[in-house]
Amino acid sequence: MGQSLISNNIRKLRFFHDEMTQQQLAEKVGVTRQTIIAMEQEKYSPSLELAFRIARVFGVPLEEVFSYDDESKSR
Amino acid sequence: MSFQEKNITVSLANFSLILTIYLISLFLMIQGGSFNSTNVFRLWGIVIALAVLVTIFATILTHILSAIVQAIKTGEENPKIEDFADERDRLIDLRGTQITYFVSSIGAFLAMLTFVLGQPPLVMFSLLIFFGVVAQIVGDVSRLVLYRKGF
Repeated sequence: MGQSLISNNIRKLRFFHDEMTQQQLAEKVGVTRQTIIAMEQEKYSPSLELAFRIARVFGVPLEEVFSYDDESKSR
Repeated sequence: MSFQEKNITVSLANFSLILTIYLISLFLMIQGGSFNSTNVFRLWGIVIALAVLVTIFATILTHILSAIVQAIKTGEENPKIEDFADERDRLIDLRGTQITYFVSSIGAFLAMLTFVLGQPPLVMFSLLIFFGVVAQIVGDVSRLVLYRKGF
């Protein structure tokens, strides 16, 4: 519960994809807008399947969307 | 607030109301000296029937109200409501159910303990339904906390 160790660039990637809205992204990957909001606020770590679907929407590899940084947050 | 959160809030309000009705009825029963098996089992029936009926009506009402609010917001004739549950909703629901079962198990154990203390079976039955409703309330609260704090 709380802040996730997985950070993401979803907000930035949405901006660079013609200011894609949270609703549009949610519809493309098959989740609710609330889940996209929770992910952007790093309050929810998506499943591997959802992570791949998001990366595919933006046409980038998974590592460009998500990163795991346990060291910086454990301090 | 998402549709799922609204649903949980309505459920929480329902079960809080049912618990209040149950406790008041039980209190009046004990005060009036009519704490007997017929009245206790009738109260059991009322609580279970209320839980089922109120849950059904509340779900329908939440759908209708959400559609009206969405229609006013967007101005569409057939507004789209995000009432489907995605992976996060399912995980939160699962965690909530886990907490509900945990609380009801503890409650069942405590209710059985009244036998050890030499209390009549009616006390055990009264506590069973009390902890059942409390478990549902605790489960709903934990779901709301998980939605707000993150999961």
